[in-house]
Amino acid sequence: MPSKTFDRYMSVILIAVGTFFIISSTQISASTYGSSVGPDIMPMLLGIVLILLSILLFFQTIKYKSDGQKSEEQNYGKFLIMLGLALLYALTLEWLGYIITTFIFLLAGFQIMQKGKILYSIIISLSFTLVVYYVYVEVLQGTLPVFPEWFAF
Amino acid sequence: MIGLDILGFLGQGFVTAFQWHNLLFAFFGVVIGTSVGVLPGIGPMSGVALLVPITSSLTGGLLPEEAATASIIMLAGVYYGAMYGGSATSILINTPGEAASVVTTLDGYQMAKKGKAGEALAISAIGSFVAGIIALIGLIVLAKPLSEWAISFGPAEYTALIILGLATVSGLAGKSMTKALIMAVLGILISTIGVDTISGVARFTFNQPILYQGIEFLTLAVGLFAIGEVFGTILEKDSDNRSLQKINRLLPSKKEMKDSTLPILRGSVIGFFVGLLPGAGASIASFFSYSAEKGLSKDKEKFGKGAIEGVAGPEAANNAASGGSLIPMLTLGLPGSATTAIMMGALMMYNVQPGPLLFDKHPQVAWGLIASMFIGNILLLILNLPLIKVFAKVISTPPKYMLPIIIAISFFGVYAVQVNTFDLLLLVGCGVAGHFLAKNDYPLAPVILGLILGPMLENNFRRALTINNGDYMIFLQRPLSLILLIIAFVWILYPVIKGVLNQRKHAKQ
Repeated sequence: MPSKTFDRYMSVILIAVGTFFIISSTQISASTYGSSVGPDIMPMLLGIVLILLSILLFFQTIKYKSDGQKSEEQNYGKFLIMLGLALLYALTLEWLGYIITTFIFLLAGFQIMQKGKILYSIIISLSFTLVVYYVYVEVLQGTLPVFPEWFAF
Repeated sequence: MIGLDILGFLGQGFVTAFQWHNLLFAFFGVVIGTSVGVLPGIGPMSGVALLVPITSSLTGGLLPEEAATASIIMLAGVYYGAMYGGSATSILINTPGEAASVVTTLDGYQMAKKGKAGEALAISAIGSFVAGIIALIGLIVLAKPLSEWAISFGPAEYTALIILGLATVSGLAGKSMTKALIMAVLGILISTIGVDTISGVARFTFNQPILYQGIEFLTLAVGLFAIGEVFGTILEKDSDNRSLQKINRLLPSKKEMKDSTLPILRGSVIGFFVGLLPGAGASIASFFSYSAEKGLSKDKEKFGKGAIEGVAGPEAANNAASGGSLIPMLTLGLPGSATTAIMMGALMMYNVQPGPLLFDKHPQVAWGLIASMFIGNILLLILNLPLIKVFAKVISTPPKYMLPIIIAISFFGVYAVQVNTFDLLLLVGCGVAGHFLAKNDYPLAPVILGLILGPMLENNFRRALTINNGDYMIFLQRPLSLILLIIAFVWILYPVIKGVLNQRKHAKQ
């Protein structure tokens, strides 16, 4: 069942996005260096198309039956915690190194998903982190920040 | 055209390929390739690149020509294996391993949700195998004339082809064509972020150096599909029941095989010809095939809900395209895609110059490669059918462990390729966006389509105009370009016209 509210908000957001691209395109140099189409044309055209489509979407939402039903129960709590954890992981990976951040992320993640069996969580987190490290960095000579910069190894 | 001499060379090629060390290399390649392909992020390209130094050390003891043959055989194995691995994750966890597998997520994952992951994986392997064989036959028989044809494809023809490619978005739409088009336009817009290749002007970068190279397709794809699905699973309360589905059968039923035959054949042909064109590759081929299958199907509704044709066709197409893309590399020295470029680099490392003289100067390398591709295909099939059982066990891991591990693998894959924090944050952001978009019937595949095709469209369009001094008529004057544009036009209009005609029929009744 298409959600009237969501689609309405989306169309407004998309119109804003389209406008943004159009305005930014005007600031792009129009010089064409020999090509008859400059770098500003395509984004501007696309922005216009996007706005037109969004307006179309908005009008289509008028035909929707209104949002009578309640959406199903959602695990917003768990989701938000995992989201926060993932963001933390992303922000600290380079700073603290792959091994520490991945281990903590996995351990916390497993426990948040379902409390209990801590030993298993530790073992799995540890093995995953170490296997990835070993195969990727040692065998394949890949690039991963392994330890934090301030580790005096 | 098939002279006895070609058969003779092929025979010699097989003899070379069957040497025990080459067989071993092929096997290693396929194993490593599949493992690498299964990881979201590290796709065939990075896998091949990472393994070039290893193949060179492993073949250190051989003569240069033998070493070249051996490492190319191994790298081809990696390539094929990675393609298959990418399909496996698309089906099992909605994570496209690389561009060509994005389409497989549409029906493959739906099949898995219904407990039919085994059939999906099997048909993917079988389809890829058949396509590989067809592509190889095409390669052997048609290499010379096709390479000349591929060269005649200029920017105008490419533009028309890509417009046709974008028209296939109609096949990716759910209930709302508007939403699909919006997503496609967004994809193209996102692709304009970065430094423009023709003029060198920075667009939408706000002086952030990290944006100069644009938004990486990989981050977007893994974020939207994989992380989006993970977040969705966390949000839905009854997720605990879902992932413990058993894989009931391992092989497709007779009916499913029958249903897949035509899609596989069509996909192979489509994929082969699209793969021939340097630049156009497996991803476009798979989109074409999906759209073609949906368009030709009597029951369009089943697409997107787990139609086996939606897996068989595109999988065949992307494998055939890999085979097809070797033609420009071997015969003209033109790498058809990033992966073939790396393979070419490996060849040149051994002083073997791909190009028109390859077949004359080093027939052993060229035919050895072709023969080993046959073998690689067979190995892939033999190796992967039993692997399905292994995948089945992996998939039945409880979500408590699966979901964080999928996130961790995605982070690893993306970081390994991009090596910066911005992409990790983008990954998470796309995950959130991907979930909410998918939930509200905004199809995600068109974004990927737009992202991939956007730069190609713009560059070729501008190039075509430059070559013809701004004359827009060029697109209609060149016959091939005109044909492709007409096909694109018909492709888009046909469903619309049909819809209008249907409405009139209903009104009269």
